Amino acid sequence: MFRRKNKRKRDKYDVIANVIVIFFALLSLFPLYWLITSSFKNSADVVKMPPDWFPTTFNINNYIDVFSNQPALKWAMNSVVVSLVATIALIIVSSLAAYAFSKLQFRGKNIIFIIFISSLMVPKEVLIVPLYRIVDNLGMVNTLHGMIWPNVATAFGVFLLKGFFDSIPDSLRESARMDGASEFKTFIKIMLPLVKPGIGALFILYFVQVWNDYVWQLVIGQDEGVKTLMVGTATLMQDLNPNFAYKMAGATVAAIPLLVIFIFFQRYFTRGLTMGAEKG
Amino acid sequence: MKKNHHALKRNLTGYLFITPQLFFFCLFLVYPIFEGIRLSLYKINYQGMSFIGLENYKALFSNPVFMKATVNTIIFVIAIVALTVVFALFVASAIFDKNAKYVSFIRGSYYIPVMVSMVVMSMIWSFLLNPANGLIPFLARELELPVVNFLGDKNLVLPVVIFVTFATNVGQAIILYIAAMIGVPKELFEAAEIDGANRRQVILKILVPSVKPITLYIIIINIIAVLKIFVVIQLLTGGGPNNASTTLMYFLYNNAFKYNQLGIASAVGVIMFIIALLLSIPQLRAMFKK
Repeated sequence: MFRRKNKRKRDKYDVIANVIVIFFALLSLFPLYWLITSSFKNSADVVKMPPDWFPTTFNINNYIDVFSNQPALKWAMNSVVVSLVATIALIIVSSLAAYAFSKLQFRGKNIIFIIFISSLMVPKEVLIVPLYRIVDNLGMVNTLHGMIWPNVATAFGVFLLKGFFDSIPDSLRESARMDGASEFKTFIKIMLPLVKPGIGALFILYFVQVWNDYVWQLVIGQDEGVKTLMVGTATLMQDLNPNFAYKMAGATVAAIPLLVIFIFFQRYFTRGLTMGAEKG
Repeated sequence: MKKNHHALKRNLTGYLFITPQLFFFCLFLVYPIFEGIRLSLYKINYQGMSFIGLENYKALFSNPVFMKATVNTIIFVIAIVALTVVFALFVASAIFDKNAKYVSFIRGSYYIPVMVSMVVMSMIWSFLLNPANGLIPFLARELELPVVNFLGDKNLVLPVVIFVTFATNVGQAIILYIAAMIGVPKELFEAAEIDGANRRQVILKILVPSVKPITLYIIIINIIAVLKIFVVIQLLTGGGPNNASTTLMYFLYNNAFKYNQLGIASAVGVIMFIIALLLSIPQLRAMFKK
């Protein structure tokens, strides 16, 4: 928009600003570059100073060690189960509720919605002590259930999906109801397919959020069998093994699923994050 | 009579739709709030619990580590939020009207650290900053800087944590700003250009004020995120040296799960809950005005 049809010399501020932006963008990728290249070095090269800026060896032993010395595969499976089940459960309960808040009329609707949305401002972590006791009373400490179900309590899904339901014209629902479809059937058959982009955004955003729900998983999953990938790899850092390349291989294993998700679903992130803000 | 019956049925349908969400919400969010307030009034140990009123709060306010944690948390919130807003505005305003591939590359570069998570990023930074064989101390020695062990220096540990947290989180704000800036009506810029304004003036006078609602949103979500700052402290500094980098969340976690001081930990949770609620009032007001 600043580019006019008649060519004008480029704005000096613009050029300098973009050079700085590119410089910091590359700098912000550097730690990740360092992580991945270090993970392929051997234990001597990884701490060699001055360092090899480009890896000279391609050594996969660190990865073999991570998967053979540590139940890393089990950790990854646990992370997948926890994130997947929590996200799907949240999508089910929050799409029902978001539909009700958007399209149905019932007494107390507004006040309940206000309470829901206000809760978004309270980080779950500050409730960690009472939450732990509740989960303990339910017998869910050291189980994947204990990591899953408290994550279904958030109002985040309702907040995100209500906007998508709001954008569907009421007439669509009314005509379905005229044709004799029940409320539930209208919801499943007509409304839900129309908010698919919202559900996609919620799925990606929340899956990643639960995947990274480190503090809660740390508290609930102390037994080796229920550790998640994040908690497991973080314990590698405190491991007595002095080989940093091995630790970096562990961290890479924890990072890769998220990198893959990001590369494939970048537009969902952008849309999901922006959706939340537009209503703010 | 029939009308009444109809209204009843309508209410019932609504309640049925929200019941599953409400169930989880009450069990794992509302109830813990009240339970947390109750627990904060008790002395809790292995033997049992006894009611002590506000003693836990009194103990906290005379505990130097708690006070240090509070001050540090406030410093983190202010510094990280300010850096995030200013830098994200700078980046987004520089690139939002460039071609789509370039925007997507820059956005991705800044967002990948957010994506990869604080846990992994803290592990990398802990390696980069390791005084014995990290890259950054090596460069510091090469440049003959007076300090090499950045995390072991009580004056430098806060700036380092601030920088690492900022660098890991700023991508989200950049995404939000780019989207908002793309949505600003183009006529506004054109009018300013005709008046002879240069790009920097247009950014400061038109663009920044136009995205004010997003700025408010970014400030609030970042305050809430920094308030619970924990992972970077646990994995990078362990709260040290000598509690110089401890935070409220780290203090809460240690009291609850290391020292078994559940009453004290609950009181910290209640205090943090109140802070979060007070800080979010402007955002909530803006949201419900619509």
